[in-house]
Order: sequence, then structure tokens, then C-alpha cells
Amino acid sequence: MALDNPISRRHALRLAGTAAAAAAATPLVSSCGAGAPKSEAGGDAFTVYWNAGHGYQAYEKVIDEFEQAHGVTVNFQKYQWPDLRTRILADFASGTVPDVVESPDVWAIEFAVSGDARSLRDFVDQDGAEMGFPDDWLPKTVERNTYQGEVYGIQVHYTCTTLVYNKRMLDDAGVTPPSTWDELLAAAKELTGGDVHGLALNQDYSYAWPWLLQNDVRLYDPETRQLLVDRAAAEEAFRFQADLVHRHKVSPVPVPSTDYAGPQKLLSAGRAAMIITGPWDLMPIAGTSPDLELGVAPALRGASQVTSSAGASAFVPAKAKRPELSWDFLKRITALETERAATEEAGMLMPRKSWATSPEATSDPHIKAFAENLPLAEDFLLDLAPTGKSGEVSDTLFKNLYQSIVVQNTPVSEALATFDAAAKRALAG
Amino acid sequence: MANRPRRRRDGLSRRYTRTAYLMLLPAILFFAVFTYLPIGNLLTTSAHSGPQADVFAGLDNYSRAVSDPAVRHSFVITVIFALVTTVGAIVLGLALAMLLDKPLRGRVVFRALLLVPYLTSVAIVGLLWRNILDPGLGILNRLLTALDLPPQQWLITHPLETIIGVMLWQHVGYAMVLFLAGLQGIPDVYYEAATVDGAGPARRFRHVTLPLLMPTTLFVSIISVITGLQAFGQAYIITDGGPANASDLYVFHVFNVAFEARDFGYSSALSFLLVVVILAFTVVQLRYGRRNEVQH
Amino acid sequence: MLNRMSTAGRVLAYVTLLGASAITVLPLLYMVSLALQTEAESLSGDPVLIPETPMWGNFLELFERAPFANFIVNSLVVAGAITVSHLLFDPLVGYVFAKFRFPFRNTLFLLVIATMAIPFFVKMIPLYVMMSNLGWLDTYQGLITPFLMDAFGIFLMRQFIQPVPDELIDAARIDGVGEFGIYWRIVLPQVKPALAVLGVFTFVFQWNEFLWPLVATSTEEMRTIPVGLTLFSQEYFTIWNLTAAGAVLLFLPTALLFLASQRFFVRGIAITGMK
Repeated sequence: MALDNPISRRHALRLAGTAAAAAAATPLVSSCGAGAPKSEAGGDAFTVYWNAGHGYQAYEKVIDEFEQAHGVTVNFQKYQWPDLRTRILADFASGTVPDVVESPDVWAIEFAVSGDARSLRDFVDQDGAEMGFPDDWLPKTVERNTYQGEVYGIQVHYTCTTLVYNKRMLDDAGVTPPSTWDELLAAAKELTGGDVHGLALNQDYSYAWPWLLQNDVRLYDPETRQLLVDRAAAEEAFRFQADLVHRHKVSPVPVPSTDYAGPQKLLSAGRAAMIITGPWDLMPIAGTSPDLELGVAPALRGASQVTSSAGASAFVPAKAKRPELSWDFLKRITALETERAATEEAGMLMPRKSWATSPEATSDPHIKAFAENLPLAEDFLLDLAPTGKSGEVSDTLFKNLYQSIVVQNTPVSEALATFDAAAKRALAG
Repeated sequence: MANRPRRRRDGLSRRYTRTAYLMLLPAILFFAVFTYLPIGNLLTTSAHSGPQADVFAGLDNYSRAVSDPAVRHSFVITVIFALVTTVGAIVLGLALAMLLDKPLRGRVVFRALLLVPYLTSVAIVGLLWRNILDPGLGILNRLLTALDLPPQQWLITHPLETIIGVMLWQHVGYAMVLFLAGLQGIPDVYYEAATVDGAGPARRFRHVTLPLLMPTTLFVSIISVITGLQAFGQAYIITDGGPANASDLYVFHVFNVAFEARDFGYSSALSFLLVVVILAFTVVQLRYGRRNEVQH
Repeated sequence: MLNRMSTAGRVLAYVTLLGASAITVLPLLYMVSLALQTEAESLSGDPVLIPETPMWGNFLELFERAPFANFIVNSLVVAGAITVSHLLFDPLVGYVFAKFRFPFRNTLFLLVIATMAIPFFVKMIPLYVMMSNLGWLDTYQGLITPFLMDAFGIFLMRQFIQPVPDELIDAARIDGVGEFGIYWRIVLPQVKPALAVLGVFTFVFQWNEFLWPLVATSTEEMRTIPVGLTLFSQEYFTIWNLTAAGAVLLFLPTALLFLASQRFFVRGIAITGMK
């Protein structure tokens, strides 16, 4: 169906339209009505787990072509990340697994460690050169899917966070976009007043990563098996964030919840002048505040100029029955033209080097600004991933650490002591 | 099953036993397969560790549970959560039921309105309240500010109290309906007799209403404690257990041990401990209830 | 209770009831308001109390963006079948525990009651493996069988059936009515209101169930409403107006069911107690 309906959407589309493209991506493919997981061809349907926000038409088109090429029916299952994880862990326990799984963070490595993800080495050896893997992928995006020298996942999306600001507010206050922590604090102070906060920090712990990276902090040092080193730099980075909220009061207290949209909403409502975020907030901002003139700054410079990466990979479960098909699906979904179409449609950023120079990546100034930050992006969880404990340490313990400092204003050293004790138990267990 | 009964007395008892077991057969099979088999599995898993739960660990998971400060914290706040929501549901539910037990116009409507939150899903209730209570973005503070009242920050300052409040919001109507039914089941003669004996409203409440409501109270209390100890959605949807772990309810914690940390061995041990605790709470309540029960 | 109330008491009662009803109903009205807002309104950092123009089209959009009709049918089939099954089995088991004397009765009853102590997700993985081996994933039978009966319903029915006079049952036996006939024709009609209560509570509970349909379905077309609603969230934000519209649709059937049965409701619960 996507063939008859060439992708003509533009960023100018209202948010509703984009969201529709994503949510409506319900293909209704699997034919014979409710409860029909088998395809007419007689074989099992080819099952793909995907993020509910990533159901782009560009992918529908790929799926159509894939179905035609192989005579299979694709069962495209869309979940929120936590639900997807619940689902895939149940699948691993039962042994009945999907054929391809999209995954955030370093799940691909985590599942490589546990033996649930399939090494893609044979496929890469065979036709990596033809598809441009790994040469056309930013090196970091290969690294975050590699375990003990073997590739387990192919990066599908690759994004990063940086400083996003309300141009008019900064202009009116005579403030130039900050590039260091000190400048940021000074600007935030200048911009705070009345109903408006200069900055709005996110409640989600992953938004602490850029600060730590900028202060050259590593989450885990595999050699010494120490967490959050160098410790003094880590303390400084946490204290800086806490001070923004509690001492200088240039950011509202972040509200713990399950979504990340708080700061974006404050920015859109004109109640925050700057936020740290990724390209995923561009659409909601354009949708809810079309008149807002947005600026996207280069990543802040602390000890280093760096920011944290985000994005999704796709991996093949070890027990997937038709790995050749799975591999072909990965190739198609990460093809350059698919990446470009997805960017054009949804503003998503991509891991290929050749994508970064494509017109889709360079024509929109905001996307271009984010794309320019991609080479500066690093994965904070990467060192921890091979321990297989990254889920527990980051989702539970690091979350508690971040929120107790930034939300509850717990003294940094006290919060770190609690974290250390719990993390030691986790890494030992 | 449709055998004609034999009238011979001596055969009766055995025949009833057979009938009883026949009628219970589907239930016995059902619970064996769908509850006790999984519990067996749970116990086995709890003696293992690793992402596949395939490394034998003996009782390690249990000893770890006992010394885990995060588990202790979750357990304590969950017991508080269960007790406060239970007492709250009983007190508020009974108070509302007593009002609605009076001959007021429109009480059928009130009864329906007060029960409405119970008919909605926990997830929806959670999303809704998160949307209402958010300090910077919620509708409540907008209204408070418009009325020149100070805005609240409960999700940050009082997360546990907040999810207790939401839980009560949803469950008080349920308790109320049960109490209302219980009240209507108390024959008027008891009140009349008490009045003749010169008892005022307070004494009638203490000496007639409360004792005769005991079976209902006990039922509400047992169900409510179990629901409270198993509460999950409130933390999952509204606060994500935060800030930090301030509202990290036990089942939410265990769920994360299972599906975030992927430690099914440990989560199984923690689950089994919860089952033991819930059974203990239930047995204690049943004991206490039996002792205080008054027959009509 | 006594019938006379002072005017002051009456006023106080109304004020309390009105206040309490406002607290329960206003948040739900806000949900309706969200359901009628534009996407921009519902996502705005300045929340909107009353939408500028009510967007009735949001409800249609649910159906355009996802197989929402499937979700509704699936929810009805699953919650409906489970409710029927509860109505068949829970009273039968409750009857046996209430009216029969047989060896191990108390032990068995305790084993049934004990199942209430187990949170569902604890059983989820073993059940999932079981259903996977049976090939029942993504089927109605897979969604339904783990919930065919439960301890709460059995417990409730036992409490209701206990007060049914033994003489009634004995008389039927003397008349030669079969054992199942006694249950079906004599006992059940005595507890009709209780069945209404059991039916509504079971339906409401299953209708809102999330975890099992999340893991036990493998196609979008088999999802139930609560699981289907997760499609109306993006990776980083929730599409509020559509989620709320879905929530309103989710709420309507349970509300209608309650209204239709509420006459029986209060009478039905009247005998609940623990003996």
C-alpha cells in the first residue's frame, strides 16, 4: 500500500499527522482476521518487535517489499520499550522467539552476554561490504552492538542530546547560547524570572549522562571494577545539576514519572528558556508551539565537549528460526534510502556516515544541528554492558542516585555511598 | 451426576463425598495446573540465579532478600501503603455508607457516582492523576493558582501519600457498596431495642452497627490488605517508584528485579516471601475476625 | 437506621455526599475533556480545562490508526467468556464448600483461598511457557484459560450460599432431585443477586487486565483494549487526547454494565460476610 502512496510527508506536517503516521502504522497485514499468526503461505509469520513510536511509513514500504521478495507475512508488533522488554524476556524463557527485535540502549550486548542474541559475524563477513557495514556506520554505533569482537546488532537509529533553546527569549535577554557549564549557569540565571525558568532538567536519569561524560566520568572501569570514576569529577557533575535546581533555582524540580516530556512542555509553553534534549522533541515542539523559534546548540563543553548518545538497534534472537531472513530484514531496514525516507518523514537521526551528508539530514537546520553533534556522542552504558548488569545498575540504582540528588536534594556523597553499596551487591550477584 | 439419590442412610456420607469431589474436580484441576504448577516452578526458580535462572544457588536468594536494604525499604512502605489504604477504605467507606443508608433523595445516584472510579482501570486512573497532579504541567495547580491558593508539589514532596490517596480514590466506593449492603442487612429491631434501652446514636453505633457489620468489615479488610500488598500499577504508572525509591512498592520492585534486572531467581524468592506474608496477614485477620464475630 | 433526620443533619449529609461525588467524578470528567481536545491542547504545557472545540473525531481516529474494533471485540470475547466461566464454576465450587461435609474440606478450601495471595505476574512466565508449548499464544483460549475461575469469586459465592437453608436442599433430595439439579434448580436461584455482583466484578477486573494480554498476544489484531492503548504513545511522549479517548471507550461498557445491574447490586452484596 505504501507503494501507491509515495511518502510525501514533510516536517511541516502538524504533529498530529506525524503521530498518525507512527501510530497508524498498523499494517493490518496478517490477513485472515483475529488470531491468525500464520501466513497463508503456510509457514510461520515473520515476527518483528518494534517500538510503538517507530512505525514509520518508510518501514511499511520496506516490509511490503520484504514480504513480496520472500513470500512471507510480516507480523509487525509495536510496543513501548518496557513492554517490549517484558515480552522478549518471556519469549526467551519459552524458547519461542521473534525473528527481529528493535532494542534501545545496550540490550544487544546484554542479550549477547546472556546467549539470547545471535552473532551476526557470518552475515557481516558475507555481505557487510556490499551494504557498507561497518564502514559506513559511525564507529560508536558499531561499538555499542559489539561483544567480544563480534557484532550482535545493527544500529537502526542514532541520536544524541544537546542544548535546545527558545531563540526569542535568549535574544530578548541579550544572552548568547552557552557553550560551557559556567556560561550555561550564567545564562540560566539571566533568563530565570517570574513564571520562567532558565533551564528545565529532566526527571529521567539518562539526562544526567551528558554532564558526567562532559566531566570525563566513566560509569564503569572494567579494569578496576569501580563505578563512576573519577569520583571527584562525578561528584562535581552531580552537584552542578543539583545546584541548578536547588541552589540557583534556575530549573524547576523535575517530577518523577514514566515520561520524558516535562521539559519539552515547559519550553513549548514559554516557561523554560532552555532544555537538554534530543531530536525526538522537535515534533512535539513544532506541534504544540508552532511559533516558537527554536535554537539547537552544539554540545556543552566541560572537561571535554561530548554528549550522550541514544537510539535503537535491531538484533536477531539466537533461537530465531530463519536467520538469513532476519538478516535480510536488517539490511533492508538500515538501507541508506530507508534511513533517508525515515528522516524525511519523522525527523529521525541515523547512524550511517553517508546519511549525514544526505539532503534529508542537511536541509532542516535543527536536524542538521543535531546531526553535527552525533560524532561527539558517546554511550555512557557501554563499559558496563559486558557485565550483563547494565539493566539493573542503570534502570534501578542509577535512577535512584540521580533522583535522590536532583529531585530530593540528598547530599551527593551520601547518595553516592548508597549507590556504591547497592551496585557492589548487584555486580557481585 | 444426575444419579437418583439412594435413600439408604449409611451410603449417604460416602456418596456425598463422591458428589463433592466430582463437583470440585474442575476446580482442583484448574488450580493445580494454573496456580500450583506455577508456584512449584516459582520455588524451583527461586533456588537459581543468572539471566536464564539456570545456575543453582540454594537458599542464596532468600538470604540476599533478608539483607537487602532496598527490599526492606519497599516492604516497609508497602505495609504502610496496605494498612493506610485498608483503614482509610474502611473508615471512609463506612462513613459514606452510613450517610447513604439514610432515606435521602438521590442516594441511588450518589451510590453510583461514588463507585465510578472503581470501574476504571488502574492504568487509566494512574495516567489521569499524573496528568492532574504534575506540579508544573498539571491542571490542579492551574486551578489552585487561579483561585489564589498555593500550588502543591505532592508528587515530589509526598509521593507515597499521593499514591495512597489515588488508591483510596479508586477503592473507597467499593468498600462503601459492601458496607451499605451490610448495613441494609442489619434488622431494624436491633436499633429499636437499643433505643428503647436508652442508647444514643454513638452507643448504637458502637454496640449494634459495628459488631453486626463485623463480617463485612472483615471481608473488606482482607481483600483490601491483599490488594494493597499487591499494589503495582500506582507506582508503575504515576511515580515510576520515585523520586529515587520513595514510592517503590514491593510488587513493583519485584517486577523490576524480574524484568529490568532480569534476575528471575531473586524475583521468585521475593515473590514467594510476599505470598507467605500475605497468607500470614490473612490468617491473622481471619482469626481475629472469628473471635469478634457476632451472630445475628 | 432511624428514619428521622434533622434539617441540619440532612444538609450536612448532602454537602458531604456532593463533595465526595465531586472528588470521584470531576477527575473523570477531566478525562472526557482530554479525550475531546486537539493534540496540541492535550500536549500543551498549559493544560486546558475545556477544549476550544470538542474534537469528537478523536474517537474515530482511534479506529483509523489502530484496529480498535478488533481490540473491542477481543476485550468483549475474552472478558465475556471469563465472566461466563466464573458464573458457571465459582458458585459450584462455593456451593460445595458451603454445603458439603467431606474429607480434606478445610485443607482444600485453604488451598483455594491461598491462591489469592499470589500476584499474577509471578505466574506469568510459567503460564507463558505453558501456553507456548500448547500452541495457544495469540488465541482466545490462551487469553481465557488462565482465568477460568478464581478464589475471590469462590469465596464470595461460598459466603452467599451458606445462608441458604439446608432444609430446602434436603427437601429436594427427598423429592429425588439429582445432586446437580439441586445446585442448578434450587441453590442458584436463591443467589441470583450474588451472581450479578460476581458477574460485574469479574467483568470489570478482566476488562481492565493488562499484563497477560500483553504477553499472550503476538499480533496487533489479537490485542485487547488496554494493551492496544499503548500504541497511542510515542517513544518519548504519550498522545494524550487519543489515550484519553480510548480510556473513555474502555470505561463505557463497565459503566453500562454496572448501571444495568446496580439494582441487584446492593441487595446482592447484602449477605456477604465471613463465617
